Amino acid sequence: MENTNTIESAVLDVRNISVSFGGVKPVQDVSFSIKENSFTSVIGPNGAGKTSLFNLLSGMNKVSSGEIIFKGEAIQSIHAHKIAQKGLVRTFQGAKVIRRLTVAENLMMAVQGNPGDNLMGFLNPRARKSFETKAREEAMRRLDQVGLTKFADEYAGILSGGQRKLLDLSRALMADPKMLLLDEPFAGVNPTLVEKLLTVLAALRKEQSITFLLIEHDLETVMNISDRVIVMADGKIIADGLPNSIYENDLVIDAYLGSRRKDA
Amino acid sequence: MEAFIQPGFWIFVLALAGIYGVFSLGLQIQYGVGGIMNFGHVGMMAVSGYTIAVLVIKYQWSFWWAALLGVVLAAFLGALLGLTTLRLSGDYFAIASIAFAEIVRYWILNSDDTTGGTQGTLAIPSPEGFASYTGQPDVILNWISERLYPIIGDEASRDLSMVLIVWPFFFLFIWISSRLQKTSWARVLRATREDDDVPRSLGKNVFRFRLQTLIIGSVFGGIAGVFWAVQFALLAPEDFLRIVTFYGWMILILAGSTRVKGLFVAAIFFGFLYGATRFLEFWPLSLLSSPERAYLRVFLIGLVIVLLMVKRPQGLFGKRQEMILE
Ligand SMILES: Nc1ncnc2c1ncn2[C@@H]1O[C@H](COP(=O)(O)OP(=O)(O)O)[C@@H](O)[C@H]1O
Ligand SMILES: [Mg+2]
Repeated sequence: MENTNTIESAVLDVRNISVSFGGVKPVQDVSFSIKENSFTSVIGPNGAGKTSLFNLLSGMNKVSSGEIIFKGEAIQSIHAHKIAQKGLVRTFQGAKVIRRLTVAENLMMAVQGNPGDNLMGFLNPRARKSFETKAREEAMRRLDQVGLTKFADEYAGILSGGQRKLLDLSRALMADPKMLLLDEPFAGVNPTLVEKLLTVLAALRKEQSITFLLIEHDLETVMNISDRVIVMADGKIIADGLPNSIYENDLVIDAYLGSRRKDA
Repeated sequence: MEAFIQPGFWIFVLALAGIYGVFSLGLQIQYGVGGIMNFGHVGMMAVSGYTIAVLVIKYQWSFWWAALLGVVLAAFLGALLGLTTLRLSGDYFAIASIAFAEIVRYWILNSDDTTGGTQGTLAIPSPEGFASYTGQPDVILNWISERLYPIIGDEASRDLSMVLIVWPFFFLFIWISSRLQKTSWARVLRATREDDDVPRSLGKNVFRFRLQTLIIGSVFGGIAGVFWAVQFALLAPEDFLRIVTFYGWMILILAGSTRVKGLFVAAIFFGFLYGATRFLEFWPLSLLSSPERAYLRVFLIGLVIVLLMVKRPQGLFGKRQEMILE
């Protein structure tokens, strides 16, 4: 792999990470390096270990071995919330929303450095209020971006599956990420909306120079937006390169056909 | 039935309601906002109450300093409970919290030389030979009674003075708590009630938020213990049985756990149920002996909880929509 010559501008550097739960080894000796402001997709059949990989990168599970370097700092053993504070933010497969908070509150919760999040902030209502006002404004802007404005003050629990995905994505953006890890943001979303989301992501990459690592089931969907595709199967990386080169890779074809044979 | 038209009965109900109301405020912020199921809340009340009794009787502390230390110790105990067990998932924490309150009670029960053991605070050894700890607050209670006596005569009881002290505090605490529940701090806490992963993924230290909540709730539990200690003027280990925690839960469920403001109505209703069962002497209940009738209280309160869960799970004041969102 071409790790050595890209390491200078690498925002994320994953070095030989593995995890095992008892006998199960969802991620085995995975290494790759992500360039700043790049867009990389991770594809692979069900159970390949993609979500497990994200759980490691975001600190929600800890690696059994290996190192994860984010912006020059080893993060493999620090708490998940600290990793998010550093700007490495993830979303969840299937979109998790807080059902009993309103849509706007779901977003406002994500803002970093809120003095009101701290109990001491209780004693400084002025700072708290002005921060809230700004957070609300930003939330409304984000909602407008994904067409959810009219749901701002409804409980997020009333949103449909597709709308929850939009909310999940907007919420991650509210957290001011340097790099976003998106776990199957398009699964179960209608094709028109997928197109729209892809446009939104491309714009974000350009305007806010966010680096993207995105899990997708289907290579077709991310073909155009990705400048690199990593293919996983059985916990390992089996191919890594330009989207076009992935198409012709025998290992990839095997992995997909293999999984289809198992499913049948 | 004529007991119910006596002002003295209602004054007692109100005094009880105020104390239990403050107690359940602690559970409200823990469960209603943070989703923490604390079944050991009575332990906080026991700790502050006994801290007062022991320090005043045995060591001649000022009541006020002892009360302050009692509340601080309750908070400290909340922190200890949280640091040791709050990382457990919900159900396991609930069980651990019961065990925790039982440890407190057993310790009180078995430390005769300090706490008076089974005989309660009357048996705390005192250099003055007189085991009372309410001297200082009684001065204030009497002062209030004396002012009221010319106006309302014999109704100017100690209970009434308690009501006049406890209820302003109760309202003040409701106000503080409801303000607190409008902050972004509470918003994160509400998120943790449903899901840890989302707030974690957004940079929130879920454990810190939970621990803070447990401590705040314990402070309310500790303050309720101070009021309790003054109201009853003596304490015994059996005042702090598990059932007391569930009385607090009943008030919470009645009010709707997410609405702090309904709490005072629910507390009065509880106070009435609690106080009234003593007077249920009419047929057919008169067929029961009086200790049997005392069990009616527990039975009635259990029945109310079950009926509420079935008919109105959101409580009297909660929003139904919050209960049904998937
Ligand atoms: N916490 C865990 N404990 C045990 N096995 C796990 C755990 N997390 C993931 N796995 C296993 O790891 C494998 C990969 O799962 P996952 O990462 O979700 O795949 P993908 O996202 O590629 O579909 C699966 O076999 C899954 O059962
Ligand atoms: Mg997955």
